[in-house]
Amino acid sequence: MSLGVQLESAEGSDVELLHAVARGDEAALARLYDAYRVILFGLLVRILNSREEAEDILQDVFIQVWRRAKDFDEKRGRPFTWLVTLARSRAIDRLRQLGARQRLATGAAQEQTESVSDALSDTIRLAQRETVRQALAELPAEQRQTLLLAYFEGLTQSEIAAKLNAPLGTIKTRMRSGMIKLRALLGKQLENFS
Amino acid sequence: MTHEDYKELLAAKALSALDAADARLLATHLESCADCQSEMVELADTAALLASQAQPLEPSTKVRERILASVRAEVQAAPPSDRVSADISQRDGNVIAFERPARNIWSSLGSFGALAATLAFVAMIIALAVMWQKNRSMQSELARLKAEMGQTLAQRDRERAMGELLISPGGHMAKLAGTNVAPDAQAMLAYDKSGHAMLMAKGLPRAPEGMAYQLWYIKDNKKMPGKVFTPDAAGNGMLEDQIPAVARDATVFAITLEPKNGVQVPTGSIYLVSSS
Repeated sequence: MSLGVQLESAEGSDVELLHAVARGDEAALARLYDAYRVILFGLLVRILNSREEAEDILQDVFIQVWRRAKDFDEKRGRPFTWLVTLARSRAIDRLRQLGARQRLATGAAQEQTESVSDALSDTIRLAQRETVRQALAELPAEQRQTLLLAYFEGLTQSEIAAKLNAPLGTIKTRMRSGMIKLRALLGKQLENFS
Repeated sequence: MTHEDYKELLAAKALSALDAADARLLATHLESCADCQSEMVELADTAALLASQAQPLEPSTKVRERILASVRAEVQAAPPSDRVSADISQRDGNVIAFERPARNIWSSLGSFGALAATLAFVAMIIALAVMWQKNRSMQSELARLKAEMGQTLAQRDRERAMGELLISPGGHMAKLAGTNVAPDAQAMLAYDKSGHAMLMAKGLPRAPEGMAYQLWYIKDNKKMPGKVFTPDAAGNGMLEDQIPAVARDATVFAITLEPKNGVQVPTGSIYLVSSS
């Protein structure tokens, strides 16, 4: 193919990896794991506050990826969203299973340093992290708090209302407004980061 | 509930924060409402980005091993026609057992002392040879590790510089994906409004003698040349360039294989290209 020929849009390599996993390609699963283990493990430790629990869930997530990759449909979402949603759902299920919102107290949970496993993906993630941090900083504090309580603590709207001693309707409004604003702020970045 | 009432629930669903009753109501509506499905996808993408706010952490290497072992176990538990026996050694029953020849122990005693001394001497020579060899291989391993560490540090400096470029005001990023001549290749180009650009590529095939990869800035099908680079043996390449003013609003970026000093008009195949 030369530059004179019409340029083709490149397909996302993560989509191809998921399709390869669906065909039973173990090496593709390993590559997917290598690409996402750091961000997913960080997320799981943040939710569960336990490296041990997080490692168990991370293992479970990738075994689910192996079994369910054929269900992935790129028309219905991005690979990044699919993986994060799978990991987070498992973590929240586990958190709720563990009872109340008692985080497992392990001070060592976040002692590990950041990984620099893959130059390209790490640089993208670094930029992504900063961009999302800036977008969150633009939200009113109460909206930001509502989103983060839901996302990282796994609290439902009713639970957040109880925790903050605020009317349920107020929490629903804050959550909706916060997410709509965040979507607007990050809209263009989604194209780059996923 | 009206359509608008359901839409109000979508953000909370993206955060898994709906109470059970609302979650059930919305699930039923979502099955038949394309508008809500579409908004749900966008909100789920937004929510997924929040994962970046957790500290990135490295799991232990055991997790990867356990996942792959578990997957292999599943593959092996698949129907027998798909299975390849791992235990080849047990299939081979044609090995004839080694039997010691019968010996008269008394006749051996006379030569035992000399034999023992010879064996001890040979053992000592072997041990010395092994130690010498071990020392040599340790020294060469040390030299290799030193070189690797130097490369890693240089690489980290470049990554940091690229990260800073990306998050600088007006920073942009373009992802380039491999074409059919280099399906495993990937690259990322970061640039700021002053035109300072950095490219990191991986998975590129080795450039033939006298050839190198060249970056192109493309706007309205007009191709403007960038610098050339040669990837290392592992296929990783790095390039720093100053985008000419006329090319700063380029919408497509590509990498071709060209003569090593670069060309003004592309002549070779495209190895990497960004989405337009």
